[in-house]
Amino acid sequence: MSESDLGRKWDRCLADAVVKIGTGFGLGVVFSLTFFKRRMWPLAFGSGMGLGMAYSNCQHDFQAPYLLHGKYVKEQ
Amino acid sequence: MAAGVWSLMRFLIKGSLAGGAVYLVYDQELLGPSDRTQAALRRAEEVVPPAVYHFCQYVCRQTGLQIPQLPAPPKMNFPIRESWNAGIIKVMSALSAAPTKALEYSREGWEYVKERTK
Repeated sequence: MSESDLGRKWDRCLADAVVKIGTGFGLGVVFSLTFFKRRMWPLAFGSGMGLGMAYSNCQHDFQAPYLLHGKYVKEQ
Repeated sequence: MAAGVWSLMRFLIKGSLAGGAVYLVYDQELLGPSDRTQAALRRAEEVVPPAVYHFCQYVCRQTGLQIPQLPAPPKMNFPIRESWNAGIIKVMSALSAAPTKALEYSREGWEYVKERTK
């Protein structure tokens, strides 16, 4: 992986993390205000879910060049 | 009877708000793969600043207020790579120039002390 590719991946990861954490937080706010009587745990849950999704995406993104996709060839 | 209807209405309003938020997230694919998130960010970057500008213009026209020129809307892309690289270059330049600068400042300080103690 070249340096510019690595840099682009890091940029994408960080932007993705910010958006996902923000989205999780926003959904947590909505659910906390509507159904859960303004408790704090939906916010923490949503932010944590967003962070986990972003981490998983980043991990997949960085590991992608090293993953080998094989095919199973049946014996004839 | 009225209380029951009111609580049902409240539940429906809250449910539609929450459901609308979930649908918006699903439709814009905000919690999907990172390339979809990037596309959503790009769409937001194209749409939001002109919308804010037009809203401000509308408010100015309706109220007759002259809102002074707003600062440029914040950019929504994250050029972390450029700022990181620039930061690294600055830190390394400062580190490489540090011994020379330290020598220069200590010499100046020594000259100053010598002049004072004459």
